[in-house]
Amino acid sequence: MEIMRLVVTGPVGAGKSTFIRSVSEIEVVDTDRRATDDTLLLKKRTTVAFDFGRLQFGPDMALHLYGTPGQSRFDFMWDILIQKAHAYILLVAAHRPHEFREARRILTFMKQRSPVPMIIGLTHTDCPGAWDAANIALALGYPHPARRPPVVAINANETASVAQAVIALVQYTWAGSLTPTT
Amino acid sequence: MTVTGYLADFSLPELFQLLEQGSKTGLLTICTLNDKTSINHHNHHIWFSQGQIVAAGNSLDQQGLMRLIAQRGWMGDRAVSRLAQTCQIHTPLGLCLKNQGVLTAEQLKLLFYTQVMRQVCALFALPDGWFQFDPKAPLPAAEMTGLIATATDVTLAGLRALKDWAALDEKLPDPSSALISVVESKPSLRLNPNEWQVWEFTNGTMAIKDIAQQLNLTVAKAQQIAFRLIVTGLAEEMPIMAAPTTSAFDLDDSTALEASIPGATTGAAPVSHSFLQNLVGFLKGKV
Repeated sequence: MEIMRLVVTGPVGAGKSTFIRSVSEIEVVDTDRRATDDTLLLKKRTTVAFDFGRLQFGPDMALHLYGTPGQSRFDFMWDILIQKAHAYILLVAAHRPHEFREARRILTFMKQRSPVPMIIGLTHTDCPGAWDAANIALALGYPHPARRPPVVAINANETASVAQAVIALVQYTWAGSLTPTT
Repeated sequence: MTVTGYLADFSLPELFQLLEQGSKTGLLTICTLNDKTSINHHNHHIWFSQGQIVAAGNSLDQQGLMRLIAQRGWMGDRAVSRLAQTCQIHTPLGLCLKNQGVLTAEQLKLLFYTQVMRQVCALFALPDGWFQFDPKAPLPAAEMTGLIATATDVTLAGLRALKDWAALDEKLPDPSSALISVVESKPSLRLNPNEWQVWEFTNGTMAIKDIAQQLNLTVAKAQQIAFRLIVTGLAEEMPIMAAPTTSAFDLDDSTALEASIPGATTGAAPVSHSFLQNLVGFLKGKV
């Protein structure tokens, strides 16, 4: 079985679990539990270990999607997930500027741990107060438009939108650092 | 595009970093919200040109610099106003007056310090405020001395002088995080001795609380210095992910969780061209 593993990461509430549910063909292995720490203030339920979704598109080909955990006591899973990933997508809620620094923190961690390609997915771009892609990219530490990863707008509730984002990630990965076998 | 928000969400040092790194030109307006029930909100205006600060003031009447000159007793209101009318359009008033021999270079520096450094640095202590950056606002020649300051220099000066960090408390890096350098060589900024000492630890391995201990600083002080290095574009906060404790969760241990990642025992094996082609083709059917 040939498998490509994509990690879906981002601050709590950015839409990671929804993203995976929207595209997975199986019932997402839902490790959402009642949050027990500060996360409770933000979400009543959050991903404690990781979300897992799968998309099998051939007898021996499958895409696996992993969502990073939201609670700090499962931080160790981040390292495990990113080490196994072919690529990742960072989800950022465009209307919550107070989360941009957390997203930047996550990005720094990911970049240090793995050189795999990534894209930025913006959720809630239609909400009042949403920042535009160029300014969010700046806030995430990408001052040069030519040297930043693709930034795509996503409605995590819509399969088509999520599929489009995964296509963007795969195509960027394909064109970039990942060296496919022949 | 206009950028709006609240300083409690996106702090002034972060905003300055964004405007400088984005080489933005326009007007940043900050409306203070100290007392939300009061109608006496104060507006602060800071003008940027290519990411650098060129003027600041509390009104948009184009009279702020003239008032400052008059307050210094260097010239009367009317005299400045008359001379200003002889200045070429788009020429900063301060520069124009200097060219006419009315103001000296030292007086211009003093004006700029009063107008920009003193006023803007005071804003770092604001607990909250609504902000808007308008990239279409024209630069106000009548408010400009002709001198400029980088947003980084203003941030560094403002944060070094800041006594009460309550407004920025939530923005400070976590004491358990490390710092990692994002510049290739030594910083060109003039860092103070404590900042240099913390800078020496920007290798992504030592937690800020441990750096504090090593340097005999309080954790809060080390966090503040780390924040200065971050918002001036010298370093990034790097989370140090802790290993799990067996009692920390009710699932199996981390080895079991790792093993639960199917087919992932040896890292990310390359995938084939045909795999990628098939995947994209399959996903296109869902779009």
